[in-house]
Amino acid sequence: MDRVVVLLSVLSVAASSQSILDQRRFSIAVSRVQHIHLLAQKYFSDFESSLQTEDQRQLNKIFLRDFCNSDDIISPIDKHETQRSSVLKLLSISSRLIECWEFSSRFVTWSTFPRNQISHKLSELKTGIRMLIEANQDGAEVFSDSSTFQLAPYGNFYQSLGGDESLKRNYELLACFKKDMHKVETYLTVAKCRLSPEANCTL
Amino acid sequence: MQFYCCGRPSQTSYLSRASGHFSFVPLWVLSNSQRFVGGAMMTNVWEAVVLLLLPFLAPNAEGTQYSPPGKPALTRCRSPEKETFTCWWEPGSDGGLSTTYALYYRKENSETVYECPDYHTAGENSCFFNKNDTSIWVNYNITVVATNALGSSFSDPVDIDVVYIVKPNPPEELNVTIMEDKGWPYLRVSWKPPQKADTRSGWITLIYELRVKLEGEDDWEMHLAGQQKMFNIFSLRSGGSYHVQVRCKPDHGFWSEWSSADYIKVPDYFHREKSMWILITVFSTFIFLIFMCFLHMNSNSLKYYILPPIPGPKIKGFDKQLLKNGKSDEIFCALVVPDFPPTTSSKCENLMVEYLEVYVSEEQELILEESKELHNSLKCEGSTSDNDSGRGSCDSHTLLMDKCGEAKGDERQTDGEGHPMEMEAQMHQRDWKEGTLSSAYQDIVSPDMSSGRVKTWPSVFSPLHQCGSTSLNQMNSLAMAKQHCLSDNLSPPGSASSFLPQSGRSTTETHRPNYCEFYSSDKQLSSPKPQAQTHRKLQAHSDINISHKQAGLQSPALRPTEYVEVQRVNKEDMVLLQPVESGCVCGDGCPQVCQDYSKVKGLNSDNMLLLHRDVMEGEEVRSHCEKQETNGCITSHITPATQKPTDCIPTVTPIVQKEMGLAVSGYVDTAAMLTLPTH
Repeated sequence: MDRVVVLLSVLSVAASSQSILDQRRFSIAVSRVQHIHLLAQKYFSDFESSLQTEDQRQLNKIFLRDFCNSDDIISPIDKHETQRSSVLKLLSISSRLIECWEFSSRFVTWSTFPRNQISHKLSELKTGIRMLIEANQDGAEVFSDSSTFQLAPYGNFYQSLGGDESLKRNYELLACFKKDMHKVETYLTVAKCRLSPEANCTL
Repeated sequence: MQFYCCGRPSQTSYLSRASGHFSFVPLWVLSNSQRFVGGAMMTNVWEAVVLLLLPFLAPNAEGTQYSPPGKPALTRCRSPEKETFTCWWEPGSDGGLSTTYALYYRKENSETVYECPDYHTAGENSCFFNKNDTSIWVNYNITVVATNALGSSFSDPVDIDVVYIVKPNPPEELNVTIMEDKGWPYLRVSWKPPQKADTRSGWITLIYELRVKLEGEDDWEMHLAGQQKMFNIFSLRSGGSYHVQVRCKPDHGFWSEWSSADYIKVPDYFHREKSMWILITVFSTFIFLIFMCFLHMNSNSLKYYILPPIPGPKIKGFDKQLLKNGKSDEIFCALVVPDFPPTTSSKCENLMVEYLEVYVSEEQELILEESKELHNSLKCEGSTSDNDSGRGSCDSHTLLMDKCGEAKGDERQTDGEGHPMEMEAQMHQRDWKEGTLSSAYQDIVSPDMSSGRVKTWPSVFSPLHQCGSTSLNQMNSLAMAKQHCLSDNLSPPGSASSFLPQSGRSTTETHRPNYCEFYSSDKQLSSPKPQAQTHRKLQAHSDINISHKQAGLQSPALRPTEYVEVQRVNKEDMVLLQPVESGCVCGDGCPQVCQDYSKVKGLNSDNMLLLHRDVMEGEEVRSHCEKQETNGCITSHITPATQKPTDCIPTVTPIVQKEMGLAVSGYVDTAAMLTLPTH
């Protein structure tokens, strides 16, 4: 009996410490993705302001036709879906998105955009999310999505043409990048709040 | 009614813009008229008529007809909590007919057109998208269409993403209370997030800002509160009334409106402040008064402490009163310190010649010279004095002499390179003068007889034995410079040599030399008698002899029989005196028996120095001298006196008197001192 008690106490302590560690990691991940999202917003607005009016109109129209490169990644698009998803699912989706953009951000040909810096930040964030996944993975739930490495989302980049398309492509890339970063930020925040002890994510 | 002319709804809008004030004329109307006109020749006229009438028709149509509605415009779309959103539009002109508005939207990546699900919830000219219809991170392409009986108009499409149009409601339940922190009040403001915003699950993250202002003022004080829902405001004005408002913003979105203001009145706490200040003021005034009293009472001592008086010169024995009296000689007497110059403990046997300086002048100006070299600091007392006393011209090149110079212009002594210490012999009755003995001077003594010339004056006093007949003048010629400064042993090497010729001159010239008194103290002498150390006036006996000898100057016929020269001081501190007789030098093997006053017998009641006359044999003397040689005596000139008693020489008395007189002034003559113990 004593042994059980001791074992339980040890486990609980370990779990609490793990949760504390998780919380800390989540906080770090959230803050990092927030920063990346701010950068994406900034670069997108800079790009838009650098365009001429006519180009802006065209791009607005174009936007509806093309896809974001990350559209193939199925992700919750409203609150209900998000809250229905498990933490692990949210984390995996976030990881996939980050990975996608880690690759795709290098295709932005706009000179002002710091490709390498962004890519580096994204890779670091990806590492952090993977750590969180490992920490929260029960082992039972295995994501088949994560195993399949789809190149198709990136396919349209290879189809891209030359200079005429560069403006359009940059616009697309920057817009989609901004949107996806906000997605990841939301997912991570929701997951973090769900895992917080009191489930009251007021901070 | 949907109007899609030429498959492009936008073209109709183009026309409406171009026509300006004209009413909307559909294209198909124009085209029909064209067909109608182009039928026949006859129709050309009709064409022209129609065409001409067309403008008139139109105005007519305007006035009475209705037109399709004007183009609406989407003004804004907002989402309060990132779950639903609402769009509002501005309708154009309705064209006189009832116009209906419809909103259509398309989601990205889809061609399906949906119509607004809810036109009423959000009010007039609005469309509300509920949760089910709202997708986040999805682009909506929204268009509003105005339709009336005559036509429709489309607004410009607008692309929105719900994420970027979030503007939350203002925070709720704003509560302001007054709290106290150690008697100092402050405001505590608290609020709640808007109800619809789901911050608990982390779906939306809000940051807050509040503003405060005093009632009646226009400037708001802004405070950013971050994500917390409570804030403290300090530094309040006593008795002031404050307005507080708060608003919020999602991390990527728009600021909400300001919440309703909450009013609060700060209680008066200045009274407490005031009384404290009054207390502080009173207390500090009280302390200040006390401080001023203290300062006033102790002003003198404080002055002394802060600005200490400059210390005066601290010369041992220096008496300011004497200085004020103007008797400079007395001053210098006072300066004679018993301990100075320090003498060794050697006995009288080691004594060299002591030089007794007889000072004759009545008034002398003592020039106290500060010289770095004490031996150079012979002070010459310029003697202005009286006629009869010969004043040894005491000049030394180092001395500052005023009066000495004038007194003796001619004779001059010593000057030599170094130490003008010329000693002048004497003992003249009148020469002893009180007040003149000022400094003990220990000085040069036995000249070096190496080559028969006096070369050096060793510092040790050598007993001066001279039964020589050197005249006083010769001794004078040695020209004692008056040395009032205490000097150490200084023997000017080689200086003596220079003295001699001068001394010779001086002796001849001056009958009345200025007697520079100079007091030399023999170290050896002084040791047994500390007080007598510096108070001896010794005469350089040997000097005279030397000078006499070397210079070959025979002492002139002067025979001051009253001159006594100190031969030496023997062990018992007895001054051995001998008369100075010209031509009689014991050292020369003079067969004469030198009569000399060998020692002081004592001091009688009349303050008379009683001397014994000793008659010595020359041989004895010589030998004795030789013995003394080791002590630096000038052997040839030393005629140590024996202890034979001699007659008292009453002539000595005046000296004694003077000496005693000097003692009164603080200056004790060595002779006098010496006699004391023998009593």
